[in-house]
Amino acid sequence: MNSSAIAPLLAQVELRDRSDTNCVQDNGTFCLDWAVDNYERYVDPTLEHIVLVIVSVVLGFLIAMGLAVLSHRRRWLIPTFTGLTGVIYTIPSISLFLLLLPFTGRGNDTAVIALTLYTLQIIYRNIVTGLNNVPPEARDAGRGMGMTDNQLLRRVEFPLATPEIVAGLRIATVSTVAIATLAVFAGGSGLGAEMYRSLDFKTGLLITTGLTVIMAIAFDLCLSLFQRFLAPWQAPAPRERRARLAALTRRPADA
Amino acid sequence: MSVEYRHATKRFAGQDRPAVHDLSLEVEAGEICVLVGPSGCGKTTAMRMVNRMVEITEGDILIGGTSVRDREPAHLRRGIGYVIQQIGLFPHRTVADNIATVPALVGWDRDRVERRVGELLELIGLAPETRDRYPSQLSGGQQQRVGVARALAADPPLMLMDEPFGAIDPINRERLQNEFLRLQANIRKTVLFVTHDIDEAIKMGDRIAIMKQGGVLAQYATPAELLMTPADDFVEDFVGADRALKRLALLRVADVDLWEAPLAYVGQATEEVRAKLEGAEVPHALLVDPERRPLGWLSDRDLARETVPAIPDSSPDPRVELDDVLRDALSDLLQAESLYAPVVDAQGRLAGVLSVEVISDFLTSPAAEVEEHPAAERPLGHHE
Amino acid sequence: MPDVFLTGFLGTFGDAIDFIFTPQTTRFQTEKVGGIDQVLELGGEHVKVTFLALGAAILIALPAGVLLGHYRRGEMVALTLGNAGRGIPELAVIALAAAFLGFGLENVVAALMILGIPPILTNAYVGVAQVDRTAVEAARGVGMRDLEVIGKVELPLAVPTIMSGVRTGAINIVATAAIAPLAGTLTLGDFIISRNVYGDAGVLAGAILIALLAIAIELGLAGLQYLLTPRGLKLSRSLSAA
Repeated sequence: MNSSAIAPLLAQVELRDRSDTNCVQDNGTFCLDWAVDNYERYVDPTLEHIVLVIVSVVLGFLIAMGLAVLSHRRRWLIPTFTGLTGVIYTIPSISLFLLLLPFTGRGNDTAVIALTLYTLQIIYRNIVTGLNNVPPEARDAGRGMGMTDNQLLRRVEFPLATPEIVAGLRIATVSTVAIATLAVFAGGSGLGAEMYRSLDFKTGLLITTGLTVIMAIAFDLCLSLFQRFLAPWQAPAPRERRARLAALTRRPADA
Repeated sequence: MSVEYRHATKRFAGQDRPAVHDLSLEVEAGEICVLVGPSGCGKTTAMRMVNRMVEITEGDILIGGTSVRDREPAHLRRGIGYVIQQIGLFPHRTVADNIATVPALVGWDRDRVERRVGELLELIGLAPETRDRYPSQLSGGQQQRVGVARALAADPPLMLMDEPFGAIDPINRERLQNEFLRLQANIRKTVLFVTHDIDEAIKMGDRIAIMKQGGVLAQYATPAELLMTPADDFVEDFVGADRALKRLALLRVADVDLWEAPLAYVGQATEEVRAKLEGAEVPHALLVDPERRPLGWLSDRDLARETVPAIPDSSPDPRVELDDVLRDALSDLLQAESLYAPVVDAQGRLAGVLSVEVISDFLTSPAAEVEEHPAAERPLGHHE
Repeated sequence: MPDVFLTGFLGTFGDAIDFIFTPQTTRFQTEKVGGIDQVLELGGEHVKVTFLALGAAILIALPAGVLLGHYRRGEMVALTLGNAGRGIPELAVIALAAAFLGFGLENVVAALMILGIPPILTNAYVGVAQVDRTAVEAARGVGMRDLEVIGKVELPLAVPTIMSGVRTGAINIVATAAIAPLAGTLTLGDFIISRNVYGDAGVLAGAILIALLAIAIELGLAGLQYLLTPRGLKLSRSLSAA
């Protein structure tokens, strides 16, 4: 695994100047010239990683939303759903990827399924918390003015739950960017596969790690802007921070 | 649109005593009916049964002759204005969108909604630029005005108001009460108004339903009836020991018999004035100008002169107006330590003299009958 | 179709279970691999690195978080760190540790510790900072010093939140310890990573064992949390839940 992973790299850099080759051969801390010359090889893995994250989070969001709508008027379902999603969440991601293999085979499908399952807990819990935090008087007023349950949910409850929902999405997305690197164990592509290929190559490791971290920050930023756009009515900082802290500190079993 | 409770009863699951017990009363169209009572008397429950926020266990409620049980709840509610103490504005919607809630639900077109929002903002006295603000940017009083506007948006004939001014500070509360009464004088909605404050009930109600523990109706009467002849000890207790005084709040100065004082004019011979004082109702002479505007009371020293002086020893104050609330007028008299006050009309001309004796007679004789005003036409008090 | 699927499914998992209990020959190796002895050996190592790393993380993060929470400073620190904690790719942590620090137990423990710190610190901060102000005021009012306020009021009241953080940290660590073999420490993850030694049955067995270990640690810590939570707090929780 070790030398075989480096071989293609060496083949590529043979034509480069000596100092650069030395850096790569010596596995120096960071070979800038190599990085500049080879950035193209990271474009596809990065895009694959982004797709993996977006598809998983969007799927997770849709499923969690469905679960939340189901359990909103049937409160007894909430502990069931929190418990189920919580059990999944307790299983280490690497195990989850591999446990799915017999069912779904190696590849990105398995990666997406595992990542989606993994987001459910955080997103679902946050939607439920957000809906619970809707001021009762807003609910009463809406009902009193003749909104049906669905209208109340669409026009009042979901919009008012946005801070918590987005807080959940942010954590879920950031987590998924990180966890998706483990998809390589299930035969998935993305930055994890690239990282795995560079285990003995410091420059490659730093680049892939850097790309994942930057991606996580970028997603987080986009979502926070998205929230400002979705919820222009509120003085954002305190409640949003509280919602995010709350979302960060909860455990599945705290139901 | 009249409202009629017919033996309406509400029993909540797991509770022995009903929250509302066999309630029967009728509210006529255009009237304000106040449901009042101590906490836990079922007044809010009784109100919420009307728009089926609480389902009726037994009996029925008719709106305009139709049972609410025959109406689909959401549709029923869209035709009934709903104002609650916590206001319940939607924090994520602008003032305009909040007001437009019911019109949007029943599918008005944009132009009509826009026009209506403009009208209502004017009606509740909010600046047009408020329409794009969010509720958190408004004061408590402004929020409650928007709450009322939102309830009025689709022009429902019936309004339910649950302690609408309960969370507002006393000064703004009085202002909002007065505003609503002025509004009601024009719009004449049928209103069910819940409060725990008997003073508010007396002020706002055309009729008052006093409820006691167990959701039992103790008395249903006009404010004056309630104050004069409480049905039982509970009602007497609840309206308070000062119930006689409270009646004064329902009346204007013009509603009681005014006395006449001997009048004097500048330059008149004091002898004539002294002659008029003999056996007069008011034992003091009042100096007035040629337009009969009061200038002051004449003292014995003033009357010891040859002619009536232009500037008398004591001022005509306190002066009260015909439209003043009787209770305020009494308070002015007591504050000035005066037994009499000249009463003037809107032009400042003398209409008579209010004496403390008249008021005290009125207070002590329970039978003293005066005509009652609808809440919306009652004096609002000049302490506003 | 379903029959084939079911048989295949049972077969694969059956093989994995067999692998756990009895040594197997695989097509890759001549000597037998797997079996309960190897499972216990690797499992023991897994548990050892997990608790060493968790202990180290607690030693660093708990006092820091509690102090920040006590003075109610550092909401942003807690938030940023908490977020960052979710964003660190586990694979990168182990790979970077191996590449830059080299192989060895200390290095693995240090790397795993980094994954444990964020949730513990964030939760300790939140747990202490959200303690009812009036309780803290009352404690000061009866003459408690800072350390007494922390020890007698804030910490007990923050137990549930702090323990949540410890549990999250433990799960992070136990999960990441699965890839510790990449840095030369052989844990249960070796079954997964060295597929060419253990075969598919070994990979699946590793996944199952790691999942079971995580759940066991989660349950154990949940039990510990229950024991540590003051009785009054449990009572008020169950009341408010009812």
